[in-house]
Amino acid sequence: MRARLLELNLLGCLVLGTSACSWSRFDDVTRDAPVVLFEKPGSMADGFGVSLATATNQGQTEVLVGGTSNVSAAALYEIGDEDSPGTTASDGYCTGDDQACFLSSLTGGFANATGPDKGRPLCFAVGTGTVDDGPIKSGLVVSCQDTTEYALGMPKVAQDLLAISIAENQPHDHPMATDRADDPVLLASLPDERLAWFYPARSTQFSELLLPDGAQQDDPSFGRSLAVLAVDGGRVLALGVPGKSRVFLWKTDGGSNSSYIGCLGGIDGMGRALAAGRVDADGNDDLVVSDASTVHVVDGARLFQLPQTASSACSLSLLPPGAMLGSFGCASTGSLTGCEKSEFGAALAVGDLDGDGDGEVIVGAPKMTVRDRANAGALLVYDAEMSTDAALVDVNFISSAEGGDELGRSIVTPHLAKRDIIAAGAPGNGKAALFYCSSLLAHGAAGSRCP
Amino acid sequence: MFAAVSSGFLSRRGALVLLLVALLAALAAGALAQTKDSSGKRLESIRSEMDRGQGLYLAGNYAGAAEVFEAGYAAYPYSAFLFNAGVCYQKQNDFDRALAKFNEYVRVDPGAPDLDKVKLRISALEAAKAAAAATALGDAGVGADAGAPPPVVLPSGDEQNAMKSLVVIETEPEGAPFRVYQRLDPNAPRFAPGAATANPGWKEVVATRAPANLTLDVGQYHVVVEKFRDFNESEADMAVTPGHVHQLKANLSQGKFMAFLRVTSNVIGAHVWIDDKKKTRPLWSDTPHGELVPGGKHDVLVEAPGFEPFQASVELEHGEQKQLEVHMVRVSYGVLRIDASVPEVKVRIDAQVKGVWRSGSEPLDVRFDSGRHQLTIESDGRKTFEGMIVVPRGQILPLHAQMIPKYPRGPAWTQAIIGAAFLGAALYAGSESDRMYDQLQQDREGGNLEGSDSRATRGKWFAIGADAGFVVAGVLGGISTYNFIKDPLPESSVKPGKLQEFEDPLKARPVAQRAPGKLPNAVAAERAPRLEFKPSASSTGGGLILGGRF
Repeated sequence: MRARLLELNLLGCLVLGTSACSWSRFDDVTRDAPVVLFEKPGSMADGFGVSLATATNQGQTEVLVGGTSNVSAAALYEIGDEDSPGTTASDGYCTGDDQACFLSSLTGGFANATGPDKGRPLCFAVGTGTVDDGPIKSGLVVSCQDTTEYALGMPKVAQDLLAISIAENQPHDHPMATDRADDPVLLASLPDERLAWFYPARSTQFSELLLPDGAQQDDPSFGRSLAVLAVDGGRVLALGVPGKSRVFLWKTDGGSNSSYIGCLGGIDGMGRALAAGRVDADGNDDLVVSDASTVHVVDGARLFQLPQTASSACSLSLLPPGAMLGSFGCASTGSLTGCEKSEFGAALAVGDLDGDGDGEVIVGAPKMTVRDRANAGALLVYDAEMSTDAALVDVNFISSAEGGDELGRSIVTPHLAKRDIIAAGAPGNGKAALFYCSSLLAHGAAGSRCP
Repeated sequence: MFAAVSSGFLSRRGALVLLLVALLAALAAGALAQTKDSSGKRLESIRSEMDRGQGLYLAGNYAGAAEVFEAGYAAYPYSAFLFNAGVCYQKQNDFDRALAKFNEYVRVDPGAPDLDKVKLRISALEAAKAAAAATALGDAGVGADAGAPPPVVLPSGDEQNAMKSLVVIETEPEGAPFRVYQRLDPNAPRFAPGAATANPGWKEVVATRAPANLTLDVGQYHVVVEKFRDFNESEADMAVTPGHVHQLKANLSQGKFMAFLRVTSNVIGAHVWIDDKKKTRPLWSDTPHGELVPGGKHDVLVEAPGFEPFQASVELEHGEQKQLEVHMVRVSYGVLRIDASVPEVKVRIDAQVKGVWRSGSEPLDVRFDSGRHQLTIESDGRKTFEGMIVVPRGQILPLHAQMIPKYPRGPAWTQAIIGAAFLGAALYAGSESDRMYDQLQQDREGGNLEGSDSRATRGKWFAIGADAGFVVAGVLGGISTYNFIKDPLPESSVKPGKLQEFEDPLKARPVAQRAPGKLPNAVAAERAPRLEFKPSASSTGGGLILGGRF
């Protein structure tokens, strides 16, 4: 009996020894993780990740992470490459340290920006305020990688209001958006005044956007969502008034002239978020618009073909046949639960995540519960190609998510090598993260970070 | 018996005489029984000595045989012992001692029927002695290796038949004259009633009164009890074999010879009842025992503690001698007599509880079927004894259990429990670590793993904790195992004692004889008659003479 006891003990030791846990495997599994958090600068105490903008020039991609509009600043990150992502802020924009600057809730990136004196690569329209250099001392502030900045003039109402804001430190939000062309068009709005304008490519002169008589634009949500579509022959400018469930559309041929081409509406919350990007493979940006529960993809080229109109009617039926590429909702896929309160479509982006030439639609659901953590937020990636129905291909979240992160409140798709990746803000707990991997990628095609 | 005997002569003797005889018989019954019993035992002893000496003699151990005969003579001064001792010395060429014995024989038994033959033997021995002395003197000048003394010329047939036998002749009543005739010619016809002269080839060798103890050569004899008082003459033949004790008793009053029954057994001291299956009377005797019994059928019951009872019926003719050799078989169970070195033990045999022994009480007797059995002895705080034990057949096996205290296992248990706790914690931590790793791996596969995920840190600590727990548990397990195994104390043991016989309520325990090489089953072996039952008749009356050797 004693000999048997000894044998059992030795056997037990052998089993335990061979099954002993190795802690180094945790280092292995977390090395080159597919999700990388931006380091939050200490100066950004409020709302890190409320807004995001990206710009790429000659293989260099930067991401601007903004804080709470009119309150905080923005941090600039050179994201580098997959092997050594830049997660430490390389600069701070709209800090307000020397000059007045009010960070916008939506910012825009420029691959190339045309300032009052010269062109500059990798600039960001960050808000309104004053600058030291240039002929215009106050207006829309554009900060560039070369540490210079300049101001763009605004309509008089906006300019007067800015003077008051600076004088009384009572800022007004100026949402902005650009397209991803080499010479982007900047679209800006002043919701408090129901005013919108744009700056044509390579121009510092603004051009005000006009609405037909009878257009119901009088809502504080006017211009809270914006998108610029680069299409053959010009641009399509989209401005959302989600409070009125409308999206107003203009087109411009590249100059300062613009013409109103219609209004999308008729669905509750229409225009809650807007995004532009090449969803299909026609080489033109398409419009992605969300309402209270659904995301719609509208062919940008078809929109550009719409004629100028004086009608104030708003309806999806105004779209020409074939213009609606697809519509999908969170609940349309059976694999997701808790869509009702997820704020599905709070933010939108389009990116070519797999590098195949057409883009995927990334939809933010910042109130989605992830692993029992309420409001942790998630990113839902849809393959919304023209010929197929939208299909959910990925659900991204931060594995270390905390309740209230609200991931997906802001989304951009920085360009990295031959494909785009996702950058998303989780301002609830001051986070912003890069998502390097997509299930659409072939195994091993995305380096060591991805399976 | 006397009443029955007397009835045969009622017509000749008056009723008064009959009553007187009956009264005397009644008064003498006790003394007679005692005398008979002591006489029987004496004869049994003489027989034993004579048989033992004869056996040694036949085996060629003359010195041993001489020693036995000498001792026999010292205890029972019968001349047959003297003569036999002399023969043994003669076989050893010890002339002086042989002559001494033969001369003493002549001296103490001047009426011996073979006196002349013995004197001739003495003369031959003296001559041989003288020749040996002369040879020795002559050889002195020649050399030490000149040769052995010349062989002694002995009477013919002086080998196995040289031994003389003791013949006891008794009559009932005593005092009857008798004559003994020896058959000298083997071809001589049977002895016919009458004088010796009428029987050529026969010679009268003894004429005396009973009882008498005679020392006779081997041969055929004829005994004639002459007319005595009112009794008729009786006679019978008798064959004397070498080195034995022969008993001859003539019941003149009954007119019949009694039968002789001897009961022997492989168990010395086994109790024998004759014609008393229910054992309502005192036992007949203990084995071995021989005694004159009336002729007819007798039921014999032999019992000994630890043996199966033996019953048999024996048919005895008047004057016949039979020996009943009983091979008793032990019962199929035995007794374990258990005590221990501790205040209390529980005894199990083949897993069945058989009893509890407590200090101060008699040893625990456990009766069980004989054979191999699993014996288990338990005691609180002591090591349990487990072992195979052979329960004897019909005997008591004393067992003394030496119960050894259990070696304290407290530290071992403490270490084992703490080790188990560590093991449990390690298993939990390992499980948590694995779970977290799996989650992280799954998140990585899904492209959602964030590098600073706190689960990695927690999982790492769980892994470290698990490994540390396994190490501690392994070390404690090893130590506890060692401490469980470690036991400097010996195991509990059982010391068997000497096998004992079952208690005999009637007397001291009988002693089983070693079984002979081959024994018949439950024997009631009847040997060839050693007693000769011969009717006797004469012109004046008739009777029966019983003669026997044993």
